[in-house]
Amino acid sequence: MSEALTAAAPVVAVAVPVHRRGWRQKVAPWLMLAPSLALMLYAFVLPMLTFFEYSFYTFRRGKLIEEFSLTTYRRFLFDAYYQTIVLDTLWMAALTTVLALAIGYPLAYALWRLERPWMKRWLSLIIFSPIIVSVVVRSYGWIVLLADQGPVNWALKGLGLTNGPVSLVFNLTGVVLSLAHVFLPFVVFPIYSSMTRIDPALREAAMDLGAGWARTFRSVTLPLTLPGVVAAVQIAFTLALGAFVTPAMLGGGRVLVLPLQVYNATSDINWPVAAVGGLVLLVIAILVVALCNRLLKYSEA
Amino acid sequence: MRTLGSGIRLRYLALWTFTILGIIFILAPLAIVVVNSFSSVAYNVFPPEGLSTRWYENLAGQAAFYTGAWRSLVLAALATLGSLVIGTMAAYALVRYRLPMPNLVKAFMLSPIVMPKIVLGVALFMFFVRIGTLGGYSSLLLTHMLVVLPFVISLVSAALFSFDWTLQEAAMDLGAGPLETFCRVIFPEISVSMVVAGVFAFVTSFDQVETTLFLVRPGDNTLPIEMFLYLQKWQDPTIAALSTVLILFAVAIIGGLSLVLRNQKLPLELSGAGKETSA
Repeated sequence: MSEALTAAAPVVAVAVPVHRRGWRQKVAPWLMLAPSLALMLYAFVLPMLTFFEYSFYTFRRGKLIEEFSLTTYRRFLFDAYYQTIVLDTLWMAALTTVLALAIGYPLAYALWRLERPWMKRWLSLIIFSPIIVSVVVRSYGWIVLLADQGPVNWALKGLGLTNGPVSLVFNLTGVVLSLAHVFLPFVVFPIYSSMTRIDPALREAAMDLGAGWARTFRSVTLPLTLPGVVAAVQIAFTLALGAFVTPAMLGGGRVLVLPLQVYNATSDINWPVAAVGGLVLLVIAILVVALCNRLLKYSEA
Repeated sequence: MRTLGSGIRLRYLALWTFTILGIIFILAPLAIVVVNSFSSVAYNVFPPEGLSTRWYENLAGQAAFYTGAWRSLVLAALATLGSLVIGTMAAYALVRYRLPMPNLVKAFMLSPIVMPKIVLGVALFMFFVRIGTLGGYSSLLLTHMLVVLPFVISLVSAALFSFDWTLQEAAMDLGAGPLETFCRVIFPEISVSMVVAGVFAFVTSFDQVETTLFLVRPGDNTLPIEMFLYLQKWQDPTIAALSTVLILFAVAIIGGLSLVLRNQKLPLELSGAGKETSA
């Protein structure tokens, strides 16, 4: 930015409107970007570099050793304990994504097929409004809902489906249910938006040619909404990978995923392990994003 | 037109059943919090054994929640205002000017979104410890601004993208200065998106746990962190009472927002349209 300023400075003296315009065109956008770029540098780039730096240090016998080494990486990648954490994280994210899709796709479909505008408005309001309720509140709601003497167990017992209480919370089940709830709006949105882009003539043509609803859905609607589904998977999976509050509150100590490991290591002042764990998480997230982008390009072509 | 097949009624029934089940799934965890806040006992039991307002009385005596709420409100307001100002400037530059490698610049500006929040929080903690600004208010504020900035940039630049720029040129040709043109010509057109971005930024900042957890001094907690830490120790319905207040707060925001957007298209359709034009 400063180079652009100094390089452009002599032009000001010329004071010809056309030239000034050219100068402005070059410098003005950088001046407008400057506050955001400065913020990004201070609160994003530099912290991430620090984080990266700590991943090359080691922590031994309660002391941080500030010397370059790959020991922490080696320990993390080859230790069965950490491998289990990585696999559990992926498994939890996968289950959450599948559940969120199973609920989100039909809801997006319903939102799309509803004919009266006021119904559309209300349904979209109901789907999207939980975004503005704190994740802490929503996770707490699921704790109450799924408790041993909570409404879900009460209903299961009342319906005669179970005898004793089913453990739904403080384990993986509770975490996955709650996460699917938290991410549902982010799943419905891209799918719904891909549905609105379908040309209605295509469905009508399929129906006119005698295809039933199921056939029309299978060969028109579903393929055309696949980009939306891929986008939904991308969002849900990456958000689930990084989820911290919900596994911390509903996991009951039984669901140890990478974000919790990063938190625990930071609390135990073992910063190198926290940094390596965080970077592993980041690499997985980037891989998922890249893979989905590939799929998106492929499915849109 | 659709032919009236025999299965159509059944399909509508299935669709409706599913929609209603979906609505129950979405609203149940919020509804149960409200029910539980009036419970007379400290443990979670359904149906409630009795009704009382004792948890609201208990909540009224918890000063930590008041100070936390006030801190969160001020912090979210400042972060929203700050990010709206610098984010709109950045969005303007991204849409209106020809930058070298525009996609790279834009991708960089939006990249904090994909960062797992806990990674960002821990990285900021390590960085602020190193430079000695941990616990300072400015560190906290800049962190919150960074978290919400990408949302502001993407929403505002989507609106600027669909703005008719001949209007701006006309205003400039008629002698309006750049600032006057922005305030009187461009701003009215993108104000809806800015309101949506502002509300989203406020709510996101208000709800930060992971990024803020390590940055606040003990005793200076924001509201969600105070609640998070409280729930690690106790699980009585005081939190339900507080959550009910927060849900009412959310309903008020939604109500206010739908008043503002009464005659506008829904934001989801708005950004969907933005996506279409850019594709």
